[in-house]
Amino acid sequence: MSSLLPFTSRMLGVSRWFMWRTAPGLPPLFRLTPPAPSWVVAVGKKDLLDLPVLLEDELEEQFVRGSGPGGQATNKTSNCVVLKHVPTGIVVKCHQTRSVDINRKRARDIMREKLDVAYKGELSELMVKKKESVLRKQEKRKRANENLERKRLFKEALVADTKPGDDTV
Amino acid sequence: MWWRRTLGTGRRCLGCRRNGEKGIWSFHTRPICSAPALPAGRITALQALDVWKTHFEEKGVTEPEHSSQYIIAHLLGAKTIESVEPQRLTEFLSKEKTEQVWQLCTRRLSRMPLQYIIEEWDFRDLTLKMRPPVFIPRPETEELVELVLTDLQKDPGAAEAHQTCLEVGCGSGAISLSLLKSLPQLEAFACDRSQDAVDLSRENALRLGLQDRLKVYHMDVIKDADRMLGLFSSISALVSNPPYLFSEDMASLEPEIFRFEDYAALDGGEDGLNVIRQILTLAPGFLSNRGRVYLEVDPRHPPLIRQWVEENVEELRYMETRHDVSSRPRFCILQKEESHKDPKVNQD
Repeated sequence: MSSLLPFTSRMLGVSRWFMWRTAPGLPPLFRLTPPAPSWVVAVGKKDLLDLPVLLEDELEEQFVRGSGPGGQATNKTSNCVVLKHVPTGIVVKCHQTRSVDINRKRARDIMREKLDVAYKGELSELMVKKKESVLRKQEKRKRANENLERKRLFKEALVADTKPGDDTV
Repeated sequence: MWWRRTLGTGRRCLGCRRNGEKGIWSFHTRPICSAPALPAGRITALQALDVWKTHFEEKGVTEPEHSSQYIIAHLLGAKTIESVEPQRLTEFLSKEKTEQVWQLCTRRLSRMPLQYIIEEWDFRDLTLKMRPPVFIPRPETEELVELVLTDLQKDPGAAEAHQTCLEVGCGSGAISLSLLKSLPQLEAFACDRSQDAVDLSRENALRLGLQDRLKVYHMDVIKDADRMLGLFSSISALVSNPPYLFSEDMASLEPEIFRFEDYAALDGGEDGLNVIRQILTLAPGFLSNRGRVYLEVDPRHPPLIRQWVEENVEELRYMETRHDVSSRPRFCILQKEESHKDPKVNQD
């Protein structure tokens, strides 16, 4: 069943997002993907309803505060928050700001984006590969054009140098 | 003991500043801390980070990497080292900048808290000025603010009634200012027994443009109880991160706290509940009916507080205990519930 997805989604082009939404019965593909490429993040922005909802029960949070009682008894500046999504095993680390509270919130935002990529599974990887091959072709074309331009200029320069008009004698 | 470790080194450290109010150093040998020599040539930020991280490690300074990172990032105008543009880290620092790095990092050798060294710290979405010996906000307290906000935002009467909050022991003003920033309609009152804390809270309010909605009073909740009862009434929320450490635990505090922060902001007495008991006793006098008390406490306190309130404060009902991010019981929420016993109702 999952092997049909890439084929049919390729056929339907843009509507693959809709395909995913109408096929809720498919199990998400939990392969660990590399950090989400920027276009996925752009699509899965916080304000879109597409991002998965986080259930606190499924999260394990780690914040190093020492083994003592914490609170007033400790003054540490480390504020790295490590968030783990237990069902998928995805781990997010955040120490972007000096506030633990804000790092916790950001870790959750990042987690939602990562889960989004994970749930889209093969579909999102496909999109990435397609975009990469398009970019490669563009680069190739660009380089070919540049080479042609260079050759042209070189030829012009040669012609200019051997022009018989310079009679200084 | 911490100071024995530093006695081995030779030179006296010129950068170590003694907190004027703490008399302890006049009785013990002043700890000697030596800084690495100022480099003869130019160095980059990355190199400075490495020099000082290594030096902090050698001298047993806690959080050696974070210390050098936060100090140098701050001097480069950033809050974290990660937010500094990578190319700036490999550029040579100016002579002046290098001297500033050396000056601030040397202070860390005396275990001065980072927040006092760079004179600021972040609390939720605010940047606050910090100054010894005013208590430095802890990360747990950010969650206390969340608890209060959740309730105040849910309050159905919020739109019509004027919401007010009272903070006892405001320190740098973190809690009150955070609430004010998130709730544009809130009016806040805060008090502290330390003039330094009152001054700092007012300064932070001014810097954040919140001075119109925050009134700070120099008052002691134990000594000035009557005055306070006269001043504050019909408060929607009473919030506090009161001194809650057990006196016996004060002796084992890390040097960052022991040498630099105000003991009065930490010591809650033999069972850590002296100030808490006083706050809870006065709470019904401050609060409007159904108004709530939000306290940050020691993990051992919640059951003790619940029991004590049941036996001693009729108009307060213990609602719940909440845990902090390290899963320790940390916050107590209580609600004022007016007593139905009306002494005047004595018919016949």
